[in-house]
Amino acid sequence: MQAQRLGFLFWLAVGLITIYGSTRLGLGAMREPGSGFLPCIAGCFIGLMALGFFIISFLRRRETQKKLSWDDVHWHRPLIISLLTLGFVLILERLGFILASLFLLFTLFKWVEKFSWKKAIFIPALTLSLTYLLFNVFLKASLPKGIFGF
Amino acid sequence: MDFFANFMAGFQVALQPVNLTFCFLGVFIGTLIGVLPGIGPVGTMAILLPVTYGIQPTTAIIMLAGIYYGAQYGGSTTSILVNIPGEAASVVTTLDGYQMALKGRAGPALGIAAFASFIAGGFGVIGLQLLAPPLVSVALRFGPPEYFSLMILGFVILTYLAQKSMGKALMMAGVGVLLGTFGLDTMTGMPRFTFGIPELLDGIGLAPLAMGLFGISEILLNVEKKIKQELVTTKVKGLFPNLEDWRLSLGAILRGTGLGFFLGILPGGGAVLGSFVSYAVEKRFSKHPEEFGKGAIQGVAAPEAANNSAAQGAFIPLLTLGIPANVVMAILLGALMIHNITPGPMLVKEHPQLFWGVISSMYMGNIMLLVLNLPLIGLWVQLLRVPYAILFPLILFICVIGAYVINNSTVDVYIMLLFGVVGYLMRKLEYEPAPLVLAYVLTPLLENALRQSLILSGGSFGIFMVRPISAACLLIAAGLLLSSLLPMIRQKREKIVAEAEEDE
Repeated sequence: MQAQRLGFLFWLAVGLITIYGSTRLGLGAMREPGSGFLPCIAGCFIGLMALGFFIISFLRRRETQKKLSWDDVHWHRPLIISLLTLGFVLILERLGFILASLFLLFTLFKWVEKFSWKKAIFIPALTLSLTYLLFNVFLKASLPKGIFGF
Repeated sequence: MDFFANFMAGFQVALQPVNLTFCFLGVFIGTLIGVLPGIGPVGTMAILLPVTYGIQPTTAIIMLAGIYYGAQYGGSTTSILVNIPGEAASVVTTLDGYQMALKGRAGPALGIAAFASFIAGGFGVIGLQLLAPPLVSVALRFGPPEYFSLMILGFVILTYLAQKSMGKALMMAGVGVLLGTFGLDTMTGMPRFTFGIPELLDGIGLAPLAMGLFGISEILLNVEKKIKQELVTTKVKGLFPNLEDWRLSLGAILRGTGLGFFLGILPGGGAVLGSFVSYAVEKRFSKHPEEFGKGAIQGVAAPEAANNSAAQGAFIPLLTLGIPANVVMAILLGALMIHNITPGPMLVKEHPQLFWGVISSMYMGNIMLLVLNLPLIGLWVQLLRVPYAILFPLILFICVIGAYVINNSTVDVYIMLLFGVVGYLMRKLEYEPAPLVLAYVLTPLLENALRQSLILSGGSFGIFMVRPISAACLLIAAGLLLSSLLPMIRQKREKIVAEAEEDE
């Protein structure tokens, strides 16, 4: 299916789910709108716009439509980076800031970007030191220590 | 008399060592991210938002503002030397700036860009200082219906000026409104769309949302392709434009300043629109339009002046009405709200040191930028050699850690990552993230204004039409929406967008 149409269906679903959710929150009365009042308006708006776009996508002449398909999405590297970041978040509190950060940065520099060993160790080490100084020492933010206590 | 007293008081605040330091830090970071491709002022400000939690609000806003207008200066360097705009507002500068560099005139191009930015920045601050107080007195007469209608008008103008589809931009504004309602309802205390996650009771944080949509998604887009940076020259000589250059540029700078400033005030306008329009105006009224695109110095001077004065003009609606004109101002609004300061007409009365201090700091910032961008140009040229392969892991890492330290919670990091992926897909499918963020930031104000208006009127939507300012705003908004549906105007608008895309 064309990527654009899939997008419109997604937003249509978002709109419908929002309408359902907002009615459960309570719409209130016009003189005293409830918690679901504005979300319901937003849901109706999103749903109607998406439905309109979806219908128009069939009515428009093929040649006037800009070609957009999944072929335009070169998702290989973005996917790897997203998964690596997700992995980092999953281990951050368990392994602690230093080890988890080393994992993320070293993997990105050595495995994804294919830097030399020297660079793949030096740049993450420098970055880690500066970030630690900025957040932990200068801004007094508490960074996770993990099971090893550092 | 009050004006000068406030002016001097503002300088007293701006000249405090801590504020001067953060002003310098802001303009320095602004120039840096303007020079470096792959990260813009919105992403940077979002990343640095958590950093500002621990400092005074005035100092924080001085730094964040410095990043914004500093980026306008820095963006020109890459446009001229590498033909890659470091920042969206510098896209037009590539057309003639790079051609000048190819002809061995990189120095005067960089010089006129810095001087035009300085002159426009200075005039922009004066304009801001003169226009803001009278607007504040007008804004004090606004009630909830006027605010509601004004925000609706703001959304419509923002989407009307959207670079891609206006319909999609409107839909994104709707999504922004929806996201803005997440968390506890301030009127009823009822949790909305929290999905049982306690961290969502406070709603979705602005920093993770903006970092995801502008920082992470930008990285994901950029890693798809290899960013090649080929410097025209590494030795920049003759930065001071000659008399002929000045003769040609002075008018362009002044026109660019005026146009940029007023377009900056418009919702959705800002630096990008200002630079495009000023370039088009210069080309149209030039005696030699054929020289544009081939290294005309006016083609550098006008857009650079416009994007800087627009950056100053955009502060007017935020500081006087509490309504951000663009997404950068939305981040500033968020930063103010984090510090329990509500921007708007009362800001001048309740926090004069912030209002006048921030404005006065812009004079200092512009002087700092001139020094940073002329004698220190060599430093930025060297930075252009840093490959994106080194930059993006660092940006990604700072985003992740920045999101974590906001609440010491991984939930914010998950939210950032989620919106990073969503933002990436949105850009692929030509949905603009700016209306979403702007609507998200404005939703608490919009919802309060809507509810208060309906309570005031006993449930009648007629209240928005019986009050003149409110009615005028809604009629203009309706007019814009209808005009966008007229085939002739729609085709014209699409043509302008297509031309802008071709220029890019």
